[in-house]
Amino acid sequence: MNTSWENDKITIRLEGRIDSGNAAAVESEISDALKDHTASAVILDAEDLEYISSAGLRIILRLRKKFPELRIINVKSDVFEVFEMTGFTEMMTVEKAYRRVSIEGCEEIGHGANGSLYRIDKDNVVKIYNNPDALDDIQHEREVARLALILGIPTAISYDVVKVGDSYGSVFELLNARSFSKILGTEPEKLDWCVDEYVEMLKRIHSTVVPEGKLPDMKETVLSWARFMQDYLPEESGKKLLALVEAVPHDDHMIHGDYHTKNLELQDDEVLLIDMDTLAVGHPIFELGSMFNAYRGFFELDHKAIESFQRFSYETAEKFWYKTLAKYLGTDDEKVIRSVEDKARIIGYTRLIRRSVRRGGLEDKDRKAEIDHWTKELIELLEKTDTLLFENDLEDTNKHKDLDIEAVEDNLDEVMAYVDENLEAVGCSMKAQMQIDIAVEEIFVNICKYAYHPEKGRAVVRVEVSDDPVQVKITFIDHGKPYDPLLKDDPDVTLSADEREIGGLGIFMVKQTMDAVEYEYKDGSNILTLVKNL
Amino acid sequence: MLDIKKNLEESRLEFVLDGRLDTITAPQLEEEVKASIDGITELIFDFSGLAYVSSAGLRVLLSAQKTMNEKGTMVVRNVSDEIQEIFDVTGFSDILTIE
Repeated sequence: MNTSWENDKITIRLEGRIDSGNAAAVESEISDALKDHTASAVILDAEDLEYISSAGLRIILRLRKKFPELRIINVKSDVFEVFEMTGFTEMMTVEKAYRRVSIEGCEEIGHGANGSLYRIDKDNVVKIYNNPDALDDIQHEREVARLALILGIPTAISYDVVKVGDSYGSVFELLNARSFSKILGTEPEKLDWCVDEYVEMLKRIHSTVVPEGKLPDMKETVLSWARFMQDYLPEESGKKLLALVEAVPHDDHMIHGDYHTKNLELQDDEVLLIDMDTLAVGHPIFELGSMFNAYRGFFELDHKAIESFQRFSYETAEKFWYKTLAKYLGTDDEKVIRSVEDKARIIGYTRLIRRSVRRGGLEDKDRKAEIDHWTKELIELLEKTDTLLFENDLEDTNKHKDLDIEAVEDNLDEVMAYVDENLEAVGCSMKAQMQIDIAVEEIFVNICKYAYHPEKGRAVVRVEVSDDPVQVKITFIDHGKPYDPLLKDDPDVTLSADEREIGGLGIFMVKQTMDAVEYEYKDGSNILTLVKNL
Repeated sequence: MLDIKKNLEESRLEFVLDGRLDTITAPQLEEEVKASIDGITELIFDFSGLAYVSSAGLRVLLSAQKTMNEKGTMVVRNVSDEIQEIFDVTGFSDILTIE
């Protein structure tokens, strides 16, 4: 009989037949094997066990009294039937022998933190775990995937555990599925569609409340990263990082933890989330942090590297990430988007630095350069950041929402109120405010009168205020006839009243009082921009 | 919003304006002027309560000035600095008589 120890865990290989003829001998062999050490766990490996009679089963029962956690693994199907019929499978862990699967020549279709996904045939994929002792991981992933499914997240659940070489794998049914990475890499025109679907799933995950204790708390994980970082950051930055993470409130909503386009699959018309082993609960900023890494953080110094991972370019990744943030946050305001991104970067860099340091990155020249870059960025971000929460950023953006309004003169007061409200926030002089009001009135009334005449249409007014330089930028967009009001000749303001024509003054006043006026016709829209320095 | 008060003394007409003279309100003033300008030789606009004049307002002033050039005088009074600025930029300071 073969036995092997791993720390205080013993694996005993059962062989051939165990019946009343040899049961006593087998039992004394087992107790000999256990005699010298104190075993905390006993595993019976039944790979070579051909038959077991009730005499053999009684040995196992007696052994289990001493070792309640006893497990029997690698059980052949004939033998498994015996364990099943006698009720053993309900009393203790009895695991079937695993089917062997080869992935030679199979396409890698997904890649996550803990393993890779291969298509083994038309309908099935296998996820191979990096960890050689992955049975617990597999069990964990199966449980969380089941939980997610029950809570309404479309995902695939594994139906079989297999052996691939020395690793374990779990098998899923995934028909005709293509990852979003593959779609983005081969059909760039679908980028906006991918963003929409990707964000919809993300929002679905983040709006799912998880019963307490079912999933790990991401905040604890990030706190442990922040503690690790204390040795690799200046004292002040380290403290700030820890304080920022600590200040993030507990959140019982789901986060995926490794949400990038390789983990989202399109199966026929259905979008499926896969690679569920990183599922957790927590504030969405933690999710955004790991998402930032998947598109930007990892590849900031080595843009090419993303292509072997995601199968699309760094430019595509940047665009996808930015549009995803905009859509997720529900704003086009670049200032707000970048501000939330900066918070995500803090989480992202923290994770990247820790990961690379732990993998010996400080001893490798290129890896060290990356760590230095991430650390420098992180220190700068920590200096200017007071919170990782982004709800307030969004409140600001709501104030600065575009005004989308029917272009009729009766709406002038509403337009003025909208503009003035935005101006109040910056505090501008009476004189400047009047000049801006006059300009806004001219442009808006122009659109009302001419853009759609004789039909009616809408206009969008956008006010953007910047601090440095202190400046207000007002943009008018209409979809009417192309018309550049700036082409109009200026009136001669030196003429006498009798010589002067009534009208034509409006645009002239705008040009005189604003610091910049620009017109552009683009994609069927008249876009007129006013800039006034305050 | 524009509040228009009218003081008529024989051939002397004074408009006291309160509020904003813009695209929406300028037509009101234009109508008032048209309706009462017959036989007037002295037209006065009092801007002490006026906060804002856009080009629509300027048009009304210019058209009134043209009319009065033929039959008398027109004066604009109590102009705020901000509105004076508008008159300067548009050359209206030279056209109008501002007191």
